[in-house]
Amino acid sequence: MNFRTFTQRIQRMAIALSLVLVATSVLAAPATYRLHVDGLACPFCAYGIEKKLNAIEGVELLETNIKEGTVIVTMKDGAALDKATAKKAVKEAGFTLNGFERVAPGDGQRDGAHKQ
Amino acid sequence: MRHLHIPALALVLLAAAISGLREAHAAPETFNTALPVGRGDFVFREQFLYIKASDDPSPADRTLEVLGSISVLGYGATSDLALFGVLPYLDKELDLTTPGGQRMTRSTNGIGDASLFARYTVFQKDLPGRNFRIAPFLGLKLPTGDDDDRDGFGRLPQPLQLGSGSWDPFGGVVATYQTLDYQVDAQLSYKANTKANGFEFGDEFQFDASLQYRLWPRELGAGVPGFLYGVIETNLLHQAKNKISGTNDPNSGSTKLFLSPGLQYVTKRWILEAIVQLPVVQDLNGMALKDDYSVRAGFRVNF
Repeated sequence: MNFRTFTQRIQRMAIALSLVLVATSVLAAPATYRLHVDGLACPFCAYGIEKKLNAIEGVELLETNIKEGTVIVTMKDGAALDKATAKKAVKEAGFTLNGFERVAPGDGQRDGAHKQ
Repeated sequence: MRHLHIPALALVLLAAAISGLREAHAAPETFNTALPVGRGDFVFREQFLYIKASDDPSPADRTLEVLGSISVLGYGATSDLALFGVLPYLDKELDLTTPGGQRMTRSTNGIGDASLFARYTVFQKDLPGRNFRIAPFLGLKLPTGDDDDRDGFGRLPQPLQLGSGSWDPFGGVVATYQTLDYQVDAQLSYKANTKANGFEFGDEFQFDASLQYRLWPRELGAGVPGFLYGVIETNLLHQAKNKISGTNDPNSGSTKLFLSPGLQYVTKRWILEAIVQLPVVQDLNGMALKDDYSVRAGFRVNF
């Protein structure tokens, strides 16, 4: 093996390692979801929705934005939330789930975070 | 009787102080709302009240003061069906002049008549930042209050008793339209009073309406800030004449219209509220007492 081949292998290994590290960090980030709740129009109502969502196993953090009518749900590591479960929780609080999407880590609102 | 003055006044002052944060509104203060109680959740409401009625056209120159606290516990059996229990504690005092010209006071205090009712949401429309609901309700007033209380002068007159002794069904329908900026509630109700101890209070028909407008914060940001609402409510109450041993009492029954300004501070976990009910129209029969005003102040807690 000449010196050039050696440096090319080192470069490829470095790139591969970087990709693995990036992929690992993304996969390790907790799953975060944005819920669009119709009917949410007062603070007293927000509590009921948060209480129901908080009762779901694996929920780590809730961030409600009453103006946008959204709740950002951050799950514990390794936990996931499905739409049917979220819809049932919102329904039990007396409101209607109108949207459910997974969002990239850190894409939620930070104001009003409600640590569970 | 006076011991309830302090907390009631303190709450009024507290609400007034909060209003001073800006100019100075989520559910009505003088009647119910159609907003949901989550499945398995509880809402507790405590309301302190003071009512004064005087302006007696009769020579007795009567003055009636009522101090009380009304405890309400709501439970969400489902997201559509809510069950409520209401228990009042009342302190009533009647001052009057006897035919002999002497001034006398008759009073009583204790638990009043409790009520149980169920409310079911029959129509619900949720949209972003707003909702509309219609919910009929049906209930029963129970004879839990003392209806045979006596003092040194004998048995207290029936209207002064803490309880009616009767089982009285009631029902109605309440509708709520709520947005992020304001909320409108309206309620129609009817209570069929039944006879007990030879006395039957006249049936009651009531129409209530409430507007709550968000005064602070003026602009909504992120998160869930507390809302301060300005409240204006109106209550139209018609009560038929009472019957004593089957005969109409000519000095009873009325049609009254109240206009009530108030404040309400709403957070996620609790609500603080105060309102003053002012009579605008009072069409009374015979020598019935006129209402001067009433003050209600209290809190609600989500749990």
